[in-house]
Amino acid sequence: MRLPLLALLARGPAHGYELKQDLEQTLGSAYPQPNVGQIYVTLGRLEKQGLIEGEDVEQSSRPNKKVYHLTDAGREALRAWFEEPEDEPRVRDEFFMKLALAPQTGLADQIALINRQRRQYLNTMRQLSKLAGAEDRDNRIAHLLIEGAMLHLQADLDWLERCQEELEELE
Amino acid sequence: MSDDSTPVLRADGAAAPKEGPRSPVLRAEGLVKTHYGEGAPAYAVRGVDLAVRQGEFVAITGPSGAGKSTLLHLLGGLQRPDSGSIWLDGECADKWSEARWAVERRKRLGIVFQFFNLVSDLSVADNVELPALLAGVPPKRARAERAELLAELGLAGKERSMPGELSGGEQQRVALARALVNRPPLLLADEPAGSLDSKGTREVMRLLSRFHQRGQTIVLVTHDARLASAADRVISFFDGRIADDAELDGGTPSRRAGISGVLELRD
Amino acid sequence: MRATLRWAHSDLRTHRGEALFLVLATAGIVVSLLLATALFGYATNPWQRVFTQANGAHVWLHTSSSADTGRLSSVGAVESVAGPYPTATTTVAARGTRASVELRGTPERPAVDRPLLTSGHWLDPANPDGVVLESRLARALLAAPGDTLTLPGTGRTLTVLGIADSAEPRYRPGEQPGLVWAPPSAVREPGGQVIGLRLTDPDETDYAVQRAVTVLGAGAVDEVSTWKQARAEAQGDNRLLGQVLGLFGLGALVAAGLAVHGAIGTRIRGHLRDISVLKAIGFTPGQVVRVFLIQHLAYALLGALAAAALIQALGSRIPGRLGDAVGVWQGLPGHTVALLVVPVGAVLFIGATTGLAAWRAGRVPPVPVPRPAAPLGGRLSGPARRGLGLRVPPALVLGWHRAFTGRRRSLATVARLALPLLLIVVAMSAWTTIDRFDSRPERIGLPTALTARADSGLAERDARALLERDRQVAAAYPGVEVAALVPGQTATIALRGLGTRAEPYPYALAEGRAAQGRDEAVAGQGLLDLLDVKVGDWVRMTVGDQPQILHIVGRSIEPENAGRVISTSLDTLRENDPGLDPTLYELRLRPGADPQEVADRLVTAGAGRLDVHAVPNPADGLSPLRGVVVGLIAVLALIGLIELLTAIGGTVREGERDLLALKAIGLSPRQITAITVTSTACTALAAVVIGTALGTPLAHWLIDAQGRSSGIGAGIAQGPSAALLLLYGAAAVTGAAALAAVPAARAARRRLADTLSAVA
Repeated sequence: MRLPLLALLARGPAHGYELKQDLEQTLGSAYPQPNVGQIYVTLGRLEKQGLIEGEDVEQSSRPNKKVYHLTDAGREALRAWFEEPEDEPRVRDEFFMKLALAPQTGLADQIALINRQRRQYLNTMRQLSKLAGAEDRDNRIAHLLIEGAMLHLQADLDWLERCQEELEELE
Repeated sequence: MSDDSTPVLRADGAAAPKEGPRSPVLRAEGLVKTHYGEGAPAYAVRGVDLAVRQGEFVAITGPSGAGKSTLLHLLGGLQRPDSGSIWLDGECADKWSEARWAVERRKRLGIVFQFFNLVSDLSVADNVELPALLAGVPPKRARAERAELLAELGLAGKERSMPGELSGGEQQRVALARALVNRPPLLLADEPAGSLDSKGTREVMRLLSRFHQRGQTIVLVTHDARLASAADRVISFFDGRIADDAELDGGTPSRRAGISGVLELRD
Repeated sequence: MRATLRWAHSDLRTHRGEALFLVLATAGIVVSLLLATALFGYATNPWQRVFTQANGAHVWLHTSSSADTGRLSSVGAVESVAGPYPTATTTVAARGTRASVELRGTPERPAVDRPLLTSGHWLDPANPDGVVLESRLARALLAAPGDTLTLPGTGRTLTVLGIADSAEPRYRPGEQPGLVWAPPSAVREPGGQVIGLRLTDPDETDYAVQRAVTVLGAGAVDEVSTWKQARAEAQGDNRLLGQVLGLFGLGALVAAGLAVHGAIGTRIRGHLRDISVLKAIGFTPGQVVRVFLIQHLAYALLGALAAAALIQALGSRIPGRLGDAVGVWQGLPGHTVALLVVPVGAVLFIGATTGLAAWRAGRVPPVPVPRPAAPLGGRLSGPARRGLGLRVPPALVLGWHRAFTGRRRSLATVARLALPLLLIVVAMSAWTTIDRFDSRPERIGLPTALTARADSGLAERDARALLERDRQVAAAYPGVEVAALVPGQTATIALRGLGTRAEPYPYALAEGRAAQGRDEAVAGQGLLDLLDVKVGDWVRMTVGDQPQILHIVGRSIEPENAGRVISTSLDTLRENDPGLDPTLYELRLRPGADPQEVADRLVTAGAGRLDVHAVPNPADGLSPLRGVVVGLIAVLALIGLIELLTAIGGTVREGERDLLALKAIGLSPRQITAITVTSTACTALAAVVIGTALGTPLAHWLIDAQGRSSGIGAGIAQGPSAALLLLYGAAAVTGAAALAAVPAARAARRRLADTLSAVA
């Protein structure tokens, strides 16, 4: 969450609640909703690291809110983040653990595991479709996000098929 | 397994669901089909039992080469099973000759393939009207149905074009129109988005969902999970047999916050 | 039904050219078959009609005046007897034309072989010089009832009272004297008598002749003619024409059937996808078959109907013999039946070949699959590879490869294309043969153009001097022509003595050698067939009452008298009869001389004592054949065109598959076009070569067979010249290449996306 917040602040100074709203707007409803508290905690950490600086602003009928802005160090860190490529997403190792360890436990059947996982993916896919339908047409970023999720799901489903093929062969 | 998913929206003239005990629109038992080509025989379908009720949207997924297309061809009468029986609307189709199947296909089945859906010599209008004319519909009414369908699918200006002049997505939409012009009780689709890009796939998905909402029974063969997820029921077809037959609901809510754990924010 | 019509209609729109060709080709075939029928009807029927109506005599015997003919009626096979009538052979003239005639003294109208009056009236006892002419003679003399005929040299005149048809052998100038019925008083100095026999059983003709000759004594019989000879001569060229038309019509029909079959097969192969889709939509296999069948039947029917209507409306207006034939045929009883049966038969035949191909369309599986990789093809042959290595243009090598590796299908294409080309070669041979009749008659057994007969007053030496004095006469061969009885005595043949040993007559020999020594002769095919002998045999015949033995050393080409002629030199005949004087002179003209001009000059020079006729050239009767041959070549070319277009369509379609690969290798669109063009040209070349190689011997065989059966004799066949064949081959190959160029160029420039959709 740290670097996305830095990126938001690079657009201009903002306070915590505004940042939360920005995040929601930019990424859309597909993205897990950020917790406000978590945002404030992260902002505190960032300030401690010297990447942002906060200023108190007086408000008439409310407690003071802190408006943060980016420091040079923060800008530098941001640039480094943008320049560095990311690792690929992790493989679902928990499911794979189950699959690998199920034989000889007498408690689970591999094929049943695969079927169950597939149903899960399909249902998730269905929900993603519904989301995509409900999302505003012009919010391209949001749609790209959903599409990314769908493609990952497709890849996972293809991998499930491969697992099933290999396991059927062994039998 | 929810039984009472009666469609909320019902457009005019859609296949009205029968009241009373719902006999399955399509039932198959013990279908077996083996292909004998060069090399070892390929067991495309090995003992498949299947029942599709009115208004259901069934998707059949599976790896390529598993025999999904063959199963669909058997259900549509395009190939003869080596053994097993098929009932269309309660009527047993075992003894039907190729000619009889052809007659049935005019009114009871609509079929869409991945490629080659349209007759290259005929214009779009002719292609869509052909099944209606075959079924004995008077030309004027056929023309009206055709105009309505093409308008609905967004192809209003293309009556006179030849199939060769259309894009892949447009051709598939025309194919859908052709399949649905007689309002058949059952629509069979074999990889309808297989040769399309993602935009085309989305279009096809939208159209299929729209017709499904009006009560159309659809059996769809696809390897695209997105298309499959639009269905009510997903059958996993594996190596000639049905491996899993699942009804899709919204699914259990995920344990994590957020829909897909893949998009987890690292702290 | 409507759906079928809709599909058929749009299919027609895409294949308009092919449909048109099919209609035209069918029309051409049916026209030729109908004309053949007309000619056959015209050939046999009139004579048959006359014979029946006239109660014709089956056998005519010309005997000496002293023969005792009373006993003939007692011969078993004879039903009734006409005559005996006294006859005299003289010459008459009318309006400057002369003709040799047989004056027959008939006291009353004969019961057997009753002349059928066409104008005027029969003999009138009140008019002792009134005569009735046979119709062909009258036409030659341009005589009508009321005209006067003069007998040159005697000062007598005869009046024409009427004109009648007869079933006897008709007047042929220079060969067969015309028939004139006269009151017996008009026949002064009868040279012989003639008796007609009507038999109970026409098949017993030979037996009856034999018996009659025995009864009369061989020495008494001068000449025998039978009804079969009369009929064959009346049919004459019409029968030949009819046979040729019929043969070609049938051949073209077969070729057209194959073309239709091939066209449908190729179309199906190109439309496999569409047919699958249609079946998936709900067309039953029966409907699919029906569409193809009905479509092509409709084209064939249209063509046949058009042809029948054309013949019915305009047939009698065709110039020349064809028009006459159609005119007469339209009045014959079998006409409507034939007009129905022939087109229907042609349509049914085409329907059968269509049905075979269409049945295969019905068997296409309803599952549309990407077109399977063509099973044809093979490895690039060694020479082809080396050719590529030697910088032979790759387009040529690949084109050659595509044309010739594909086993069955390419062989079938070449064979189907070769059939019409073969028939065209046969047609060209027929044309060349007829042409040779005109341009080189000496090769066809007509070395002399004119025959001159001198009155008895003119001695041989004087006659020859008179004839040879004309500067355009190269040589005059004296000769005699007599009738001789053959052994077995069933018929008489013509025995000719022409030329002397010093100046032999230039016979056109097909076998053996010329007659040089004593008792040597050459014979025509007709004679060899009649007597059942071959070259090298000895034959014995009776001339008058003299036996004559001759050794046949060669076979000559004899267009006269159905080939039943045996020829030797005048000297041989003089050995038996030293006082034999030549009765005719055959004149060979210098090249470039006009026979009619020379004839007129000689007649003038002879001052009425010379009778000069042009020798009939069989080619004259065959001149309508030339027009027919041209028409047939056109029809066959149409059929060949259909085949070619089919082959090109198939090649282009199969080539689409490889378009991308070829572009990737590095061939430019022009080179890719060149591949298709080369492949088509190679196929056409192979077809032309096969067509010529098979067609030339076939033509020779056919023409010789026709010659043999008509008695002229085998050996008249002339193939087209090598130059003509080369031109023909070059035209076919370049035409094929040109036709292939346009669709090939279009295919080579198609956008890649289109190609993908075509192949995928």
